[in-house]
Amino acid sequence: MPRVFITGLGFITSIGNDAAAVSTSLRELRHGMEVYPPFQKPEIPVKVAAPVKDFQIDSNDPEDWTFPARYSIKREILRGMAPHGVFAWCAMQQAVEDARLTQADWSNPHTGLYAASGGSPQLMGYMLQRMHTQGVMRCSPLGIVASIAGTVNFNLVAHFHIKGASCGFSSACASSSHALGYAFDDLVLGRQKRMFVVGAEDGNMDSILPFAGMRALSLQRDPGLASRPFDAARDGFVGTGGGVVLVLETEDEVTRRGVPVYCEVTGWGQASDGHNVAISHPEGCGLQTAIELALRSSGTAPEAIDYINAHATSTPIGDISEVRALKKIFRTPAARPAISSTKALTGHGLSLAGAMESAFCALAIKEGFMPGSAHITRLDPECEGLNILRATLPVQPQVVLNNSSGFGGANVALVFRRAS
Amino acid sequence: MSEVVHSSQGSNRPFPITTKPVAPEDEAAVRESLKRCSPSTFESAIQFRKTGNPEHLPAVVIGVIERFVEPDLRTKLKDADDDLRLIEDLGIDSLTMMEIVILVEDVLQMSINNDELRNLRTVGDVKTFIDCKVRGLPLPKPTKFLPIEQIAATMPVQPPFLFLNEASVSSSGANAKYKISGQEFFLQGHFKDNPVMPASIMLEALGQLAVLFLLEGLLPEPGKAVNPQMIFFTGCEGVRAHRVCKPGDILTLSIKPKRMKIPLATFEGSIRVGQEKAVIAEEITLTFGFMEVPAQPAVANGAVNAGEPGSGEPVQPEAVRAATSA
Repeated sequence: MPRVFITGLGFITSIGNDAAAVSTSLRELRHGMEVYPPFQKPEIPVKVAAPVKDFQIDSNDPEDWTFPARYSIKREILRGMAPHGVFAWCAMQQAVEDARLTQADWSNPHTGLYAASGGSPQLMGYMLQRMHTQGVMRCSPLGIVASIAGTVNFNLVAHFHIKGASCGFSSACASSSHALGYAFDDLVLGRQKRMFVVGAEDGNMDSILPFAGMRALSLQRDPGLASRPFDAARDGFVGTGGGVVLVLETEDEVTRRGVPVYCEVTGWGQASDGHNVAISHPEGCGLQTAIELALRSSGTAPEAIDYINAHATSTPIGDISEVRALKKIFRTPAARPAISSTKALTGHGLSLAGAMESAFCALAIKEGFMPGSAHITRLDPECEGLNILRATLPVQPQVVLNNSSGFGGANVALVFRRAS
Repeated sequence: MSEVVHSSQGSNRPFPITTKPVAPEDEAAVRESLKRCSPSTFESAIQFRKTGNPEHLPAVVIGVIERFVEPDLRTKLKDADDDLRLIEDLGIDSLTMMEIVILVEDVLQMSINNDELRNLRTVGDVKTFIDCKVRGLPLPKPTKFLPIEQIAATMPVQPPFLFLNEASVSSSGANAKYKISGQEFFLQGHFKDNPVMPASIMLEALGQLAVLFLLEGLLPEPGKAVNPQMIFFTGCEGVRAHRVCKPGDILTLSIKPKRMKIPLATFEGSIRVGQEKAVIAEEITLTFGFMEVPAQPAVANGAVNAGEPGSGEPVQPEAVRAATSA
C-alpha cells in the first residue's frame, strides 16, 4: 500500500496569511478575532468575527477587490470567483511553491484536486436580487459558478489546469476533512499520485450571520473571550473564513522529486450520528466510531496519540459531545494525549475547518510544538480526566489526530504521523 | 467615431433631433453602470438617452468593449478599424461578450437575444448591429473572413496577378491585406535597383477587392449571383498616391460601395500602410453582369446552410478557422 505524505501547505486564515505567521500565532496563542464592523448595528446581537486580514473583498463586484500585491489574478478569472475563491487561489499559490511543484508536475492526469466550501451566500443573494429586480437575462454570466458550492473546485481546477480527479465535498463543517480522507484513499488505491486538498469559506456577513438563527454564534463582545472551547462559560462559535491548501503525494513521488515532507497521513475514519440534522449526538457516538475507525485503519493504538486537534467549536452542546467521545477512547492512564481546539484562535471555518486544522497538525509535527487551547478561564467540569492543553508545549508530537463534525451528524477523524 | 456611423447601414436617413430629459436617478444609474468606462462613454450614453440619436452609439459601444478588454490590449482599440476582431484580436471570449451585452442593454435600455450575438465577429459588426437595433432596421449579414485559398477559389484573377493575401467582406464594404514580398515580377524593372510598388498595381488591388465584394458581399439584386466572368474595370476618379510603398510594407486595403445598379458598381477605396495614407481613389467603377441560371443559395453563400441538418461540412466556421491561422 503506497504511503502518503504532506509536502506543501498554503494558508490564508484569520491568524496569518502564510505558514510562518500561522505558526507564530499558534505557538503564541494569538487569536484572529475582532469586533467586526459589519456586525456593529443595534439589530445584530453578534459582534465578533475572525476575518482574514489584508484582503478587501466585501464588494459584490470583483473588480473592487484588493488583495496583497504578491498575488495577481486577472479580471476574467476574478469574475467567476467568490471572495473565498481568492483566498483559495492565494493559498494554492503558496502550496505549489512550498511543495516546489512546477506546472508540469501538477497539470497531468495523475494529479487531482478535492475541495470544500459552502459556496458564497453573499454572491448568490446578490445574483438572485439582481434577477428579481433587473430581469432574468441581467444575471452575471458567471454568477452561478462564482456562488454555488463547488465554486472553489471549478475555479482552481480550470485555472491551474488540473487534469486528474476533481470534485467538491459537502458535509458542512466536516467537508474538507472528507476531502482529505478521500484524497488519501485515491492515493492509496493508486488512482492518483498527487492530490490538492482545499478548504475555503467567505467568512463574511452572509456566510456567518445565518448561524445566529440557530443560536450557534457567540454573543460575546470581547474578541478575547468570544471563542473559548472547553471553557465552562463558552456561548457559541465565532465565524471565520479563509482558504487552506494541502499537497498530498505518494512516497514514490516524494522520492522522485526529492522534496522534504511535513508528515505522513496514515489513515482516516468516518461515521454518522444518525441522530439530528443540526445537533451532535449527546454522547458523541458517531465521532467515537469515526475515531476508532481512523485508529484501526492507520494501525494506531490510542496510547500512541500525542496530540488531538479537537473539533470543539465553543458551542455548549458540541464540545461536550466530543469530550464524551474522547473519554470513551482515551481511557487508560497511558492514553492521555494533549488536546486543544485551535478554533479558540481562528474561529470556526465551517467547510474550511478540517483542511485548516489538518494543516495546523502538519505544521505542529514538522516544527515540533503542540498548540494550546486558548481562552480557558474555568475548564468545563465535563473535561475532567482529559489533558486539555492550556498553553503551547514546545514538544514534537509523533502521532496526531484531527477531528471534524458536520451537520447531519457527519464525523471524520484523520491520523497524521511524523515522517520516519 | 462619428464618421464610422455615417458609413453604417441606413444612416443616410437624417435623424430627427428631439430631446427628452433623463431623470437624475437614471443618470446616476448609468454613471454607476459605466463607472469603469471612460468619461466620454458616459457622456455619449447620456446624450443617446436624451436624444435617441444613434450617432452616439459607437462611442458607447467602443467604451464598453474597452472596459472589458485586458489593459495591455486596449491600445488596439484606440486606432481600431472596424475589422478589429473581438476574439482573435481583443481576446474577448463568449462570456465576456455576454458581459458586454448586459452592460450595453443596461445602459441603452434595449434587449439583445442570443441568436443575434452569434454573428458578431468584429468591432464593426457590433457597431452596425447596435445601430440597426436602435433604428429598427433588419440586421446585416455577418462579416466573412477569407484566407488566400478562398480568395483564389472565388476570384477570376489568379496569381501572380492577385494582390490580396486575406480579406474580410461585410455588407457595408470589404477590407484586405497585402504584403509586398519583393518577389513580384514587375518589381525587377520598377525601378532599376529600386523596387517600388506601382501605383497602377495598387489601384488594381483595390479593384480586385471590389470584385471580391461583388462576388462575396451583398448581392446587388436578391436571388441573382454576379458572374465572375463578367466583371471588368471601367474607370476611376480622384486617384492620389501619397506614399511610396516598398517590399516589406503591408498594405491595408479598404473599399466601400457608393452606388450599385446593374451594369455598374462604384466604390470608394483607400490603401494605408500602418496609419499612413498610401493611395486614395474617390471612385472606382466596375461593370458586372449576373449569372444566367438563378443562384444556388448553397453555392452563392455557403454560410447560409452551415449548421442546418444535412448540410454537410459547415463552410463558414472552416473559413474562419483558416483565416485565424493565416
